[in-house]
Amino acid sequence: MIEGLMIGLNTAFSGYNIIMVMMGCFAGTIIGMLPGLGPMSAIALMIPITYGFDPASAMILMAGVYYGAIFGGSTSSILINAPGVAGTVSSSFDGYPMAKNGQAGKALAIAAYASFSGGTIAALFLLVAAPQLAKVSLSFQSADYFALMCVGLLSIAAFASKGQFLKAMIMTAFGLALATVGQDSLSDITRFHFGNINLMDGISFVLLVMATFAMSEAFMIIFKKMDISFSSSDVSKEKLGSIKLSKDEVKEMVPTVGRTSVLGFLVGVLPGAGATIASFLAWGFERSIATAKEKLKFGKGSIKGLAAPETANNAACTGSFVPLLTLGIPGSGTTAVMLGALLSFGVQPGPRLYIEQPEIFWSIIISMYIGNVVLLVLNLPLIPYIARILAIPKNILVPLVLFFSVTGVYLISFNSFDIYFMAIVALISLVLRILNYPMPPLILGFILGGMLEKNLRRALLINDGSFSFMWERPISLTLFIIMIIIVLLQIYQGLQKKQN
Amino acid sequence: MTINYTRISALVFLLIFLVYSYLAGEIQVFAFDENADFNARTFPKFISYLGIVVSFLTLVLSRGEDDEPFGQFEWLKVFVLFILVFTYGIIIKSVGFFLSTNLFLLISYYYLGVRSYKVLLLCSFPVVAALQFMLHGLLDVYIRDPFLQFIGVIS
Repeated sequence: MIEGLMIGLNTAFSGYNIIMVMMGCFAGTIIGMLPGLGPMSAIALMIPITYGFDPASAMILMAGVYYGAIFGGSTSSILINAPGVAGTVSSSFDGYPMAKNGQAGKALAIAAYASFSGGTIAALFLLVAAPQLAKVSLSFQSADYFALMCVGLLSIAAFASKGQFLKAMIMTAFGLALATVGQDSLSDITRFHFGNINLMDGISFVLLVMATFAMSEAFMIIFKKMDISFSSSDVSKEKLGSIKLSKDEVKEMVPTVGRTSVLGFLVGVLPGAGATIASFLAWGFERSIATAKEKLKFGKGSIKGLAAPETANNAACTGSFVPLLTLGIPGSGTTAVMLGALLSFGVQPGPRLYIEQPEIFWSIIISMYIGNVVLLVLNLPLIPYIARILAIPKNILVPLVLFFSVTGVYLISFNSFDIYFMAIVALISLVLRILNYPMPPLILGFILGGMLEKNLRRALLINDGSFSFMWERPISLTLFIIMIIIVLLQIYQGLQKKQN
Repeated sequence: MTINYTRISALVFLLIFLVYSYLAGEIQVFAFDENADFNARTFPKFISYLGIVVSFLTLVLSRGEDDEPFGQFEWLKVFVLFILVFTYGIIIKSVGFFLSTNLFLLISYYYLGVRSYKVLLLCSFPVVAALQFMLHGLLDVYIRDPFLQFIGVIS
């Protein structure tokens, strides 16, 4: 472990990779700040830029983008009450009232310190937990992996779909179906290509991500006549005020940061939960344990109310890397996009990554810490200037997002078919999003489809075509029981909703 | 049973998964694989069963509470942008990356209401040139560009 850690330190602290983290944090902050464009779009837009990079540098850049996007989302939540990212919605509960009271600079500083502390504590947890989990997961067999992926798909559908479980399951099935287009990995038989040579190799992951997130998001801004730009006076330096915190304010923050970083990390590790649930839980948790006097402050500019979601969402971001790095299974939509990027670099995340490519495994973990430092040292003082990005009008922003999406896909294949196909997929995604069909389950289904088929095939062949592996292996059995509980929980919630 | 947008979309998905199920059964497998426990048809068939069950349940159980009326949205603008992206895809190879991208950006900006020539030019040519320089000059990603070759900027 020490040797791997040293290799990781060496990789992460190379001048080139530090520049990558800085660039990632900076680009992520800018994109995450724009309402509608979250970390998934930010990472998707970064994929084409990383083509020429080695996998470690590319992942370091993307991890920086992820953090930056969450931080950028907090900035727009606090300054203009327009969360760029779902995970920062609860930051606006107390951050925006603080900004309205002339304490915008202080609110941003609290957000930055809380994010930094949450990310740092969670990175330490990750440092300890990830290698242990990676060792445990070496005992996993195909049947267990199959069960684990099913749990991942079900929980993303259950927890990340805002009560639209059936719609999320349709999207999961649709994503899995899209993954079967092209060659079967074992027999090389081509499936569902309809005689089109461009589909024989399957659908490009980058194309699907760009179309369903970046491009459809750009269409959505126009489609819903969203007013996303703000006058530069709203985000001027004069309006921000001081970013200095008093000793009492720091004292008030510390216990909250400690509690919610643990909570955030644990929620982040759970498949499907992620930053959004973690931040809401943390805000609710802090409010519930507050004294009656403090409780009244929540929602009106409470320091604890702002520090809690900010700490938790950053800790959850780090936590979501645990299943990705140790099991090769993404715990959230954003890590699903990162998994796709890793696979396109020829890197297979999972327990073997820790042993075979320690430089990637450890450098990602260490770069998360560097990312937190960069956000604190570089981004916080630059916020008044970065926030000007919010003044970009949508009629400039939308064509630019469309251009970056098209270029990203075109640069992979230099094939015009991909551009037509992408435009069609983006249009379909737009309609599906209007109908409240969530997109993360589609992406997760698409990415896990190939692995799910491979593991199911192995499990069935080992068991002579029998599904007895579901109850014969303790790990699989436990995971299938979890799946049944998730489904029953959804049915119960559905019935309760109907009664209400 | 009332008709709502969710039910219509669930019906479309149901039809898609029924067709998918039929096509899964039509996948040609090797003769020795025909009766195997797992072949190229097996997984798609499981997916189709899942898709059929969930879309059927959505069709039956949906009450369309979250449906938004479709008429209030900017359909035309999105459709025009879609056509622009499509056209961009058609001309990118023949005209070249630089010219086609600038044309796409200029037309899109103009269509979305930008009228200032300064903004139009500053938000297109320098952006495309910078990206092309980064890709071509720094990252060594070759982009075929007949126009730039014709005027002698790239060899």
